[in-house]
Amino acid sequence: MAEVDRRVLYWVMFIALAIPFINPLGLPVPITEMTKAVYDKVESLGPKNIALFSIAGGVSAWPEIAPSMVAVMRHLVKREVKIVVWGFFTDQDITVDMITSNVPELSTKYKYGEDWVYMGYLAGGETAVAALASDVHSVFKADKYGTPTEKLPLIQRVKSAKDVDLVLTVDTGSYITYYIRHWNVGKGTPVAEIGIAMQADQVVFYPANLVGLLIGVRGGAEYEKMIGRLGGGTITMDAINISHLLFIIVIALANIGYVMTRRKK
Amino acid sequence: MPYPTDPLILSGVWASVILTLMVYSYVLYKETPVFRFAEHTYISASLAISVVVAYQTLSSNAFLPISQGDMTYLIPIVLGLLLYTLPFREVRWVSRYPLAFIVGVGTGIAIRGSVHAQMVNQVLAAITLPKAPQPIDWFNFLFSLVAFLTSTSYFIFTREHTGVLKIPTQLGRYMIMLALGSYFGNTILFRMSMLSGRVEEILKVFGIIPWR
Repeated sequence: MAEVDRRVLYWVMFIALAIPFINPLGLPVPITEMTKAVYDKVESLGPKNIALFSIAGGVSAWPEIAPSMVAVMRHLVKREVKIVVWGFFTDQDITVDMITSNVPELSTKYKYGEDWVYMGYLAGGETAVAALASDVHSVFKADKYGTPTEKLPLIQRVKSAKDVDLVLTVDTGSYITYYIRHWNVGKGTPVAEIGIAMQADQVVFYPANLVGLLIGVRGGAEYEKMIGRLGGGTITMDAINISHLLFIIVIALANIGYVMTRRKK
Repeated sequence: MPYPTDPLILSGVWASVILTLMVYSYVLYKETPVFRFAEHTYISASLAISVVVAYQTLSSNAFLPISQGDMTYLIPIVLGLLLYTLPFREVRWVSRYPLAFIVGVGTGIAIRGSVHAQMVNQVLAAITLPKAPQPIDWFNFLFSLVAFLTSTSYFIFTREHTGVLKIPTQLGRYMIMLALGSYFGNTILFRMSMLSGRVEEILKVFGIIPWR
């Protein structure tokens, strides 16, 4: 294995990823407890409840988090939950556009300002999350489009973390820990995570503070299955499964080769 | 969804594919002018977006309240401006004040919820018996408990890792390696998702799979 040109490996990987997109294999995706917990929580909400959709992941992470974002947003809209959106990534406007184009009900069924609102970008990281937990109105004076908060009935109802029934943090970094520290531990607001695969090891360590967790594309595919509307996550899962299989084979071959080389010496 | 026909959208999707191929040329041919062009384009586009968003945020969250008479927002603006003294050697010291403010506030806020979320709850979760346990739940519980105790013992530096501490600390080291291995594995898998996203985009743009 050590003598194989890495370019060959990259081409094999590219082809292995491309084949399932051309010919879907339909490999099974069992539902995990963590995904079901998020689904059950959203299912328990209704028109009187308010969910916060916090975007702390960039466009570059779409392949991993977009299926979950769209599926969860579809579920929230189906349950007629009021939705407040804000975020901490400068390119999040493109993400919000992607969500609204995939969930057209946000324009047709929902009334902006009353049923959902987009407050825009906020700098400050953990400091901002903590400040929002205590007083949303002191942090946001207007929404993304410059409308003052006094003219937005939904945000008038959200004064602090206590007015939110569920936080869904879309996260490729540490924002989940910020929300746990300041919204869950501090104010008792339930927090759920839409994250990338590499966060799984970090976030599962918060069983007492976390409602549930959608891990990467897998989480998105599971959620799509649960809401009965298959999408990008389900399509991508075949490619992901094949790539993982390829990785396991390559790692095994490389280790066998390494052991045999050592024995020869 | 049909294949886009709007020239503006088409130019965007083709630009994304061409830039993707330029970036992946690094894998095949190392650093080339083509790769560097894509890299610089990405950085400059990101920076441009950040500047615009930063201005919009300042407008709605600082300039708007000031225009309405709330002058307290001048304080963070002045502190922010002081950071720009950093490149000038003679007045660089001024930038330490806003930096100290940022670090102080950040640390204070982070510590507030950390003890409960990251210590008390972790310990409670580690020693809480599973509800309605299956055999696998017992295994998970015991494994987690052993991993928690032994990996914590590895960080006892006030006594030499010999005698009673020898086996737990050695076991703890293996547990830490297991955790880091799993973390690294998940990192690789995340990168594979990224790659699959680009592969899908390339196939879509070349018309090999339907546009969706």
